[in-house]
Amino acid sequence: MTMTGYQNRVLRIDLTNRKYSAEPLNMEFAEKYVGSKGLAIRYMYEELKPGIDALGPENKLFLTTGPLSGTPAPCSGKLSVAAKSPATGTMNDCSIGGHAGIRIKYAGYDMIIFEGALERPGYVLIDDDRVEFHDASDLWGRGSHETEGILAKQYGIEYTVLSIGPAGENLSPMSCINSDYYRQAGRGGIGAVMGSKKMKAILIRGTKGVRVPEIKKTTERMIELLQTDVLQEDNTYIYDCGTTAFLEACNDGGILPYKNFQDTTDPEWTEYNGDILLKYRKGKRGCGSCGLGCGNFLQIGEAVCEGPEYETISVAGPNAGVKDPFKIVKFNQVADDMGLDTISAGDTIIWAMEMTEKGIHDFGIRFGDADKMREYLILMARREGIGAELADGVRKASEKFGGTDFAMQVKGLEYPQYEPRGSWGMSLSYAVSDRGACHMRAYAPNVEVFEAAAPPYTAEGKGQIVYDLAEFNAIKFSLCICDLWGTIDYEIMAELLTMVTGRNWTVEEMSEVGRRVINIARAYNQREGFNRKDDTMPRRLAKDALTRGPAAGQTIPEEAFNDMLDQYYKIMGWDENGIMPQELIDTL
Amino acid sequence: MKRLKFKKESCIGCQLCAQVCSAMKEGEYIPSRARIAVETYYEDGNLKYKDSYCILCGICAKNCPSGAVSVGEYIQVDMDSCTGCGICADKCPKDVIKIREEKAYICDTCGGDPVCVKTCPQHALTFE
Repeated sequence: MTMTGYQNRVLRIDLTNRKYSAEPLNMEFAEKYVGSKGLAIRYMYEELKPGIDALGPENKLFLTTGPLSGTPAPCSGKLSVAAKSPATGTMNDCSIGGHAGIRIKYAGYDMIIFEGALERPGYVLIDDDRVEFHDASDLWGRGSHETEGILAKQYGIEYTVLSIGPAGENLSPMSCINSDYYRQAGRGGIGAVMGSKKMKAILIRGTKGVRVPEIKKTTERMIELLQTDVLQEDNTYIYDCGTTAFLEACNDGGILPYKNFQDTTDPEWTEYNGDILLKYRKGKRGCGSCGLGCGNFLQIGEAVCEGPEYETISVAGPNAGVKDPFKIVKFNQVADDMGLDTISAGDTIIWAMEMTEKGIHDFGIRFGDADKMREYLILMARREGIGAELADGVRKASEKFGGTDFAMQVKGLEYPQYEPRGSWGMSLSYAVSDRGACHMRAYAPNVEVFEAAAPPYTAEGKGQIVYDLAEFNAIKFSLCICDLWGTIDYEIMAELLTMVTGRNWTVEEMSEVGRRVINIARAYNQREGFNRKDDTMPRRLAKDALTRGPAAGQTIPEEAFNDMLDQYYKIMGWDENGIMPQELIDTL
Repeated sequence: MKRLKFKKESCIGCQLCAQVCSAMKEGEYIPSRARIAVETYYEDGNLKYKDSYCILCGICAKNCPSGAVSVGEYIQVDMDSCTGCGICADKCPKDVIKIREEKAYICDTCGGDPVCVKTCPQHALTFE
């Protein structure tokens, strides 16, 4: 069976034997999981044996597009990059922007699977049907930006480059994969999976096409959606400001973390906000098939980045006691080049700052030491000196040195920059997220803080709120649609999928796919031994009350957190231990 | 005579222009066969722009040895006369002409109502 919208083809690359072959896409999986996120997780569940070493050759790297990839469906240029996570031991699917997604599709594939490992450092070039294996010994050890620059000069701009920095080479569980210089598959140590395969880079060029039914009508409708739904004020702020816009919203809402989540809000936030940062903007950039263009290419002196995104501003700014915009941008630049996730690397350093200031262990760095933060990034990426103690993330470091109560992580993945004591649903969202603390699964502050549609400081109703958000994102991301198309709804998603596949999709089916995606991820993790004991929140949230901002005085009592977990499990049909019954697994 | 104009600083590199162009002209989303190639990329720490689009300069028509290319309000290629010799593509200052299966494919601004302009989300492309 084949279906329009898809290329109906998977490219499987055996790195160990330097061989490759194309095979039909599993259309039964595609029908049930659509594409991208969901499809990748279903393949992982099928192909990754339980208990494998995430950094061993048995782990596979899945690059997965969806049926909208390569079409002008707005904001559909994202790519799922997935593998078992070396940070958490869970499944891990990351979403990367740039142009890799559309180019894989134009090369004629829905998905590329990398298996095994190269014997020596190399890179893989994919040019439509042709795959080449090249030596990368002269690239190994170089920064991600330098690597991309060298390869771009050699092959030209028709190729998209995905690469890792020294952090990925050195198997850091906080290493990322970079593309288009400044876009990342950021979390869960996905870069280390590539590094364990000794694959420094992947180049992709595609010259083929994507076919859909009634292409003129479909295209006209996609253009109409772009102009009438996407390019509206509720979304276009992202062109004007990028995610710097979240800084004010989070500060005002009392969820901007301060000094390793000891408190919230920063009275001096205007020193490094969007008004300041965007004065240095040199250009705008978006992903393939994007309409919005969130990327701010900016330069402050010798500091250059596309961003900085809210997460990085927060972790390298108020959460680190830093206010200098130059130093925030420079942190971003160094982390990207080293191939480090700014969230996880940043959280680990700010934890070390608190450890030092509290006298628990002297890591030689204190809040406000922005220059040292950058040095520590390099040491962590290279596992040198003090960096070796921090390179495996905040969970492992706190297990060794103490300070577990304020090690801000779930399942070994460090906390994104939204303080849950000001948005209780977010503690649940982080806890039940399939890859550890992630803000992209269910973004509770939207409902609890920004829209103020539900009271933030209560457990009541939070199971349903978090579930609804998670279900929505699970299908949205399985369609490769970017998070920042905020006004898309189930009707539009069903319409887009119907247009490209030619088979009628209903709103109810969209909802069912979303639920199924959450369940297949949970089933994967359950098979790895995860259950309620792993769905946690850091002790700090129950113990230490905030002192500032609208959430001053708030903690999240353990019983409230447990109540939220119970609600969520009940909605999902899992038992009180968070275990999915076999009958449910059998339906996946 | 209206021409395509490109304001590079507004381009976000989404390539929607090439996608919709190829949809209308080739019946599939295949930017490699589009009559426009406008995109952005980074090089040596700077944001750069590729701006291959038809400026209606008429050089293709002037150099066509078989008289297959004509320029009026927009460019037309008489496919019966075109031999696919590739001279037009070689001479095109914007590197926008594609030769395929011994025929030249040149932007005709969709007959004076270019779909790329209607699509461009940040108005980097205009027709004026």
